[in-house]
Amino acid sequence: MSDAETLTTATEPTTPSSEIAPAPRRGRRGEEIAKILFVVPAALTIIALFGYPVVKNLVMSFQNYTLRTFINGEAPWVGLQNYVAVVTDELFSKALVNTALFTIGSIVGQFVIGMLLALFFHKNFPLNGVLRALFLLPWLLPLIVGSAAWRAILEQDSGVLNVTLEKLGIIDAPIPWLTSPDVALIAIILVNIWLGIPFNLTLLYSGLQEIPDELYEAGALDGATGWKAFWNITWPNLQAVVSIVIMLGVIYTLKVLDIILGLTQGGPANATQTINLMSYQRSFVEFKFGQGAALSNILILISLVFAIVYLRATRRQVDE
Amino acid sequence: MVTHQQRLAARQTRRGLRTAIAIVLLALMLFPVYWMLNISLQASGGTLPSSFFPPNPSLSGYTTAIHDQGQNLVTSLIIAVGTVVLTLLIATPCAYALAQFRFRWITWALLAILISQMIPGIVIANALYTLYENIGLLNSVPGLIIANAAHAVPFGILIMRAFMLGVPTSIVEAARVDGAGLVRAFLSIVVPISRNSLITVGLFAFLFAWSDFIFALTLTTEGKITPVTLGIYTYLGAHISNWSAVMATAMLASIPAIILLVIAQKYIAAGATGGAVK
Amino acid sequence: MIKNRLMAAIAMATLAPLTLAACGGGGSNEAGSEGSATQTVSSLTVLDYYTESPSHSQIGDQLQKCGTSIGVATVDHQSVPGPTLIQKVLQQASSKTLPDVLMLDNPDIQQIAEAGALMPLGDFGLNADGYAPGPVSAATFDGQLYGLQPGANTLAIFYHKDVLAKAGVQPPKTWAELKTAAKKLTSGKQYGFAFNATADYEGAWQFLPPMWTNGGDETDLKSPQVAGALQLWKDLVDDGSVSKSAVNWKQADVNDQFIAGKAAMMLNGPWQIPSLQKAKVNFGVAPFPVNTPDQTSIAPLGGEAWTVPVTGDDAKMAKAAELVKCMNTDENQMLRAKQGGLVPTKLALAEQYKTEVPSMAGFTDAVANARARTGKLGPKWPDTAKVIYTGMQLVLTDQAAPADAMAKAGAS
Repeated sequence: MSDAETLTTATEPTTPSSEIAPAPRRGRRGEEIAKILFVVPAALTIIALFGYPVVKNLVMSFQNYTLRTFINGEAPWVGLQNYVAVVTDELFSKALVNTALFTIGSIVGQFVIGMLLALFFHKNFPLNGVLRALFLLPWLLPLIVGSAAWRAILEQDSGVLNVTLEKLGIIDAPIPWLTSPDVALIAIILVNIWLGIPFNLTLLYSGLQEIPDELYEAGALDGATGWKAFWNITWPNLQAVVSIVIMLGVIYTLKVLDIILGLTQGGPANATQTINLMSYQRSFVEFKFGQGAALSNILILISLVFAIVYLRATRRQVDE
Repeated sequence: MVTHQQRLAARQTRRGLRTAIAIVLLALMLFPVYWMLNISLQASGGTLPSSFFPPNPSLSGYTTAIHDQGQNLVTSLIIAVGTVVLTLLIATPCAYALAQFRFRWITWALLAILISQMIPGIVIANALYTLYENIGLLNSVPGLIIANAAHAVPFGILIMRAFMLGVPTSIVEAARVDGAGLVRAFLSIVVPISRNSLITVGLFAFLFAWSDFIFALTLTTEGKITPVTLGIYTYLGAHISNWSAVMATAMLASIPAIILLVIAQKYIAAGATGGAVK
Repeated sequence: MIKNRLMAAIAMATLAPLTLAACGGGGSNEAGSEGSATQTVSSLTVLDYYTESPSHSQIGDQLQKCGTSIGVATVDHQSVPGPTLIQKVLQQASSKTLPDVLMLDNPDIQQIAEAGALMPLGDFGLNADGYAPGPVSAATFDGQLYGLQPGANTLAIFYHKDVLAKAGVQPPKTWAELKTAAKKLTSGKQYGFAFNATADYEGAWQFLPPMWTNGGDETDLKSPQVAGALQLWKDLVDDGSVSKSAVNWKQADVNDQFIAGKAAMMLNGPWQIPSLQKAKVNFGVAPFPVNTPDQTSIAPLGGEAWTVPVTGDDAKMAKAAELVKCMNTDENQMLRAKQGGLVPTKLALAEQYKTEVPSMAGFTDAVANARARTGKLGPKWPDTAKVIYTGMQLVLTDQAAPADAMAKAGAS
């Protein structure tokens, strides 16, 4: 019933709670209410915070919402006009491709590196905890600070990255990280991977810690070590955490805005333009809020499709 | 023949090697942070240090930061810690419910929660401004805590649920059979077992609140409540920027936060579930 | 009975006009209505983007002194980061909590005025007589004045005096001279020239000196004059005199490069002067060169104006207008100019300012002729700015030739 359930131990399947002896009638009723109460505070919070924006964003995409609307409240209904306008914009297909490349590149990079680091830290060694905590340091620094530092590092002529690569003899000429339309997208993908590593590392590490040592001991007796242990013990037991890490990773990556604004403003010549960036610019730079809302709804639709497809795929995987 | 001492020594060397590799990896990862340190020690305030080490290191950025940002740091800490507490209070029971209870509408709930994560932050902030304006929560630290917590709750639910799917129902049932109520079983069995996921979510709730800019900007109108993310704009104008003070502020502000994170990480112990089943 | 009804009718007849007056006197766009103008105003709120010290406290002091002088006890001064100002204004507009006095960057004034958020200053008896033409045209929409700008800045060429002297190069007066000088001054790590060409309004702003000086106009971007300006930018980069990183440098980065000796000349504005003085740079200033001798150097108008948003509170709006007027007195204009690296916008103050601050002489002359970005296009300027910076980046990244870059960027 629940999605992406896993077998957490090789020996003990979970038993559905309905198999307990039924409680007396009055107690069961009370229990039903108690169960609902577990969820109520969260439900209220989510509806209060997210309910109105979702609806407003949806409605706004069908309206001609401009600066004037903020003053006099009038927003004439224009149906699908905003959607048509943004989809037929010549920038749209480029932004769509960029968004796809950016997301796939970021997720693959972040996840793989995060996973490798999590496995590395899974062993006990001195300073393990401190070093792992320090990996979260980039998340403590405001994004504007991070992008300023990265711009200085990636600067073509005097940025320390090019200077170092040249000194080490790896490249002959400075790489135009943020100034060439061909390279800029790669540059921001790399920076985004850097940003995403702590997230993946911390969550996957916690997931690894949940897997009981007995499984590995039992497996070792059967000769499963190293890669085999990972594939047969670690990976299956990590599924629930992996799937939420990837799903949230994709959703959050689609929303990335500040780092792109800070590094390239979507340039050079729209080489790093993404759908979310387009949405922001339509709304808050050009004040065409209806179009901005249409773009962000398109993005939500893409996220939704991905989420549904992914949930189904992992459910089927578990059933096998 | 390998003696016990030799085996012990070998293992210690292996461990020491791991630490060394970990430090190298961390150094690579934190290089941009080192660069921020470099910039913070520059006298000129520009972002263009020409070498690995500042030629004329100057602490002017730090003295400015210490002078101006003390209160902002405290504000950031209060908001972040408050967010952690509130997020865990709201999200943990819900995560457990969605993981273990048999509701018919769980898939819909999960989908709704996922959708909430897809909304751009600025859209939420704008809507929240109107709401707060109407109920008078603008310009208040509790208001910011509530906003940040509400923002982190869906994330918390999704993460903790993934972990709680692995909580064996047998132990909970054992407690129920012994006569414990649902809430009691939850508090005394599930919560301790899920310690890892609670700490992890707490960590991220702290980080989201700490680095939040948009709620702090939108939900304050008087400039009296300024977490560090807003406070750095004392050094960033529309035309002029004093990056060394900005970087110095960022560096100083992260010290107390990192201490909290290190302490929290230590509690993510291995095999919390394993022992309980026995 | 009839007497009672008569009494009631008389009572209603007396009350009715009073009630109607009370209803009608409320907030609206009725210009100059008396309404509650006799109430005392004890506080005004002011919103701007002067977040950084020392500007924040300097402006705050000026506002407070002005408040006291017009009888307002408290002036609540709030500053938000530059890029977030308009968002804040919109949030406040929709919740009807606009500030009493609002600072706006001059190219934004007409758009906000068109949306109906600002009061025409003429309604409060204010005018911009004696101001340089640029600030007036920027703040005028539909024939009405909406903002008064106390200080202005613009763009000019900064150069390292010693470097040019050593290379035997004079500050360039024509585009040909600029190209040769820049090429000659490029050696080692030092580029001859630096400018900002980012994909945002700042990049568009920096492209205006060559575009306007060459006779190009924002209403006709596909003209050969605009192509000529694009060609200049392209030639400088292709020559190697300007770093390819220009597409990623903000004006602050250009300044950093100049200070660090990585650029012999740069295109920038007077707000950089405090940092240049702090770094003890021996710099000179020259107007942007012309292409052909019959042209005059035209630079774009920068600087922010004070406006009065429509809050519906007549008494406060009247006091707000007084505050705006006070911030624009001769005394306050001079103070603001000296503190902020600006030029006073009142033409009568020009000579005095040049005497008191000789380093700003060149900029003072330039501001008198500075041209407002919204002068011709009004609220439609932002769309055109987007085309300008897109076209410029297409040329600088070799994706389009100057002749058809603007068309490719979407020019109509």
